[in-house]
Amino acid sequence: MPVRVSLRARHRNMRMKKMAAPKSSSAEAPSAEALSSRLEELPVGSDRIEELSDTENEYEDIGTITQAEQAHIDYLESVTIPIRDEPETESSKAQREAFEDIRPFLEGNPNDFPLNIFGLPKLQREKHAAFLKSALGDYPSKFAPMDAARPWLLYWSLQGLTALGCDISEYREQVTHTFSMAAYPTGGYGGGYGQYPHLAATYAAVLSLTIVGGTDAYESINRRAMWHFLGQMKQPDGGFTMAPGGEEDIRGAYCGLVVLSLLNLPLSLPPDAPARKHGLTTFLDKLGAWVSSCQTFEGGLSAAPGNEAHGAYAFCGLACLSIMGPPKATLPKHIDLPRLIHWMSYRQCAPEGGYNGRTNKLVDGCYSHWIGGCWALAEAATGRALWNRPALGRYILAAAQFEDGGLVDKPGKRPDGYHSCYNIAGLSHVQHNYVYDEAESGAGSVLLDAPWRWKTQGRYQGDVLWGEDDVVGQVHPIFVTPWGAAEECRKYFEAKEGF
Amino acid sequence: MAPKFYHDDPVWADIDPLPQDDGGLHPLAAINYTDEYSEAMGYLRAVMANNEFSKRILELTEHVISLNPAHYTVWLYRAKTLFEINAPLRDEIEWLNPTALKHLKNYQIWHHRQTVIEALGSPDGEADFIDSMLEHDSKNYHVWSYRQWLVKRFDLFEGKGELEWTEQMVEQDLRNNSAWNHRWFLVIGGRDGRALDEETFKREMDFAKRLVRKAPQNQSSWNYLRGLARHANSTSALKDFALEFADLSRPDEIHSSHALDLLADILATEEDQKEEARQALDLLATRYDPIRAYYWNYRKGLLEQPGAVA
Ligand SMILES: [Zn+2]
Repeated sequence: MPVRVSLRARHRNMRMKKMAAPKSSSAEAPSAEALSSRLEELPVGSDRIEELSDTENEYEDIGTITQAEQAHIDYLESVTIPIRDEPETESSKAQREAFEDIRPFLEGNPNDFPLNIFGLPKLQREKHAAFLKSALGDYPSKFAPMDAARPWLLYWSLQGLTALGCDISEYREQVTHTFSMAAYPTGGYGGGYGQYPHLAATYAAVLSLTIVGGTDAYESINRRAMWHFLGQMKQPDGGFTMAPGGEEDIRGAYCGLVVLSLLNLPLSLPPDAPARKHGLTTFLDKLGAWVSSCQTFEGGLSAAPGNEAHGAYAFCGLACLSIMGPPKATLPKHIDLPRLIHWMSYRQCAPEGGYNGRTNKLVDGCYSHWIGGCWALAEAATGRALWNRPALGRYILAAAQFEDGGLVDKPGKRPDGYHSCYNIAGLSHVQHNYVYDEAESGAGSVLLDAPWRWKTQGRYQGDVLWGEDDVVGQVHPIFVTPWGAAEECRKYFEAKEGF
Repeated sequence: MAPKFYHDDPVWADIDPLPQDDGGLHPLAAINYTDEYSEAMGYLRAVMANNEFSKRILELTEHVISLNPAHYTVWLYRAKTLFEINAPLRDEIEWLNPTALKHLKNYQIWHHRQTVIEALGSPDGEADFIDSMLEHDSKNYHVWSYRQWLVKRFDLFEGKGELEWTEQMVEQDLRNNSAWNHRWFLVIGGRDGRALDEETFKREMDFAKRLVRKAPQNQSSWNYLRGLARHANSTSALKDFALEFADLSRPDEIHSSHALDLLADILATEEDQKEEARQALDLLATRYDPIRAYYWNYRKGLLEQPGAVA
């Protein structure tokens, strides 16, 4: 039976419903300077919707709320920390205001999505797929600031689409072609034709080619040149720079190892690698210690030694270590694991259920992957269940789906490929189990073979909040590609003689 | 601003632009560049192919950056040019200041600034500029990372009121975790393992405790406090302080979930206090921080294992 609800609560819901109404159709050009070299924090235009004035006549529609809504309200209450966080400062004010925007989506259904049997919005598969497909199409001129980030646009869409169950083979030829134009003659990929090679672009390119797969895509990669390019990025202190003359940070360590491992490249440094002059001989030299130096007093990992612990960098560091060897061995060897897990746990926002990237920052859908993806690695190292998966699933389904398709940082923000890809990946981490097959490890004859020892182990069996229709595909915990695609790519190159 | 073109500019008459090559197929995620952007990029590709480093490159790269500040290639080529032609680096900083303020979230600009300041060999004026950036976004990751580089590069750990500045930043918003992290960097993190003297340790403990008392549910100050204590191997000495906010004999009056968390850690290391530790973790899992119940239960599991403490 429907129950009455307080005028205030209902008013809030009504108002949010109007706030979320379709806005101007012209897509805001993201001021996305960050895209090309950033794995996080996409700047989004300040298109937060104006709050409606109270003079508008909304009170007439005060009605009842459903049982499902009441259950959501009760749930939120039950996971709210019952201690007032005072006094107010800039941060807590921002938190309070953000939660006002998010709350109606966690309590009700302002987007009028069809609901699953748990009363949560169903995964809007078709809408998201349409959004991601359109993101592969042409962009108007105001998107010029994305010119160096086009490899990312491809990767986010392709990864998102495959996780949604879409067939992307129609793009295979175009993907291969697009990257053949972005390949740098001396190795690696840039953002586009004539651009310097960059490890972020290279990572997005190699993963995109892995996702579409096939001999033509694989063979389009100049592996020998790639090996030399990576050799140029390796630094005397063990880390990797992102580009020649570019910054050294933990993304480089992850992106570099992903490429080495996927393409089955030699672990020894090329003869012309500058780090050889400093006594280094392999890509792994000093790398574990370098990643270790990024762990901060809070327990999380930072971009580079001394910087603040941050969700996206934490994933890069853990995934890098998990390529170097079995997580059970490499994580405790290079990381203070209890402190890391402590910090990761605190990234889950209460009561929102989604993650933030840093202490006292706001919940943001992209960390559904950056932190959500760390858990499989941490659980492989500890052998224990550590995190609240239903709460994250709830945030993604209820608060991160945009009315017209695509997924968002939080309600009130515009969708983009980045937040779509990583929310969907986060939902996958929530729904699927992966285990590291310890039995096989150690027996491996090939170096950097740790990423190939993961096995899927069915679905999460706890308090599920999603129906069969809401389940997305399995994603490789290290490479963030559709399950099986990375394996195919590696197998192809293992079977090849030389470069 | 009116679009700027090169084809009718005598200064550029010697250059054959290299147009964007999309090959035979229509590429994915293609951008319909304006004529202005296409042409400027065509000239840039051409001069890059020639390895030209000259004054006019600075004008060309400035132009491209104004159209696309996220173009790392242009930034890197500009930096190369600056050094090849011995350009006055102070002028570069003068130009960078308003450019950075215009593109607050830009990433490349900070690496560029770092390269230029490194070559200049002086941090003069940088602190003020960072302040003006933080006024717009007090948690900007790149700005704080740049500040850390600056402190280390020019050994500013003691000088020019760096510590007082972080204090001010923390007081301004005691939940600004970036400011806390910078403080850690100054006091411990950036000092390459040099030991923390007694006096500094006490000062920092007092600082953190004072701010915890001001806002007992603030994660940042607790993390700092715990980090300090762990660094000095004296976590258990924080027991009385934790009890101020979380007394297990009064489970209805917990003033900080972080105090409970810390208390659970301390109790886990004490003889015969496992039951109390379990009680603290139960309070967190069921009442004071239930969203992390899985984690608290994991911590309870660790209590069974000898010697394992989170
Ligand atoms: Zn985000």
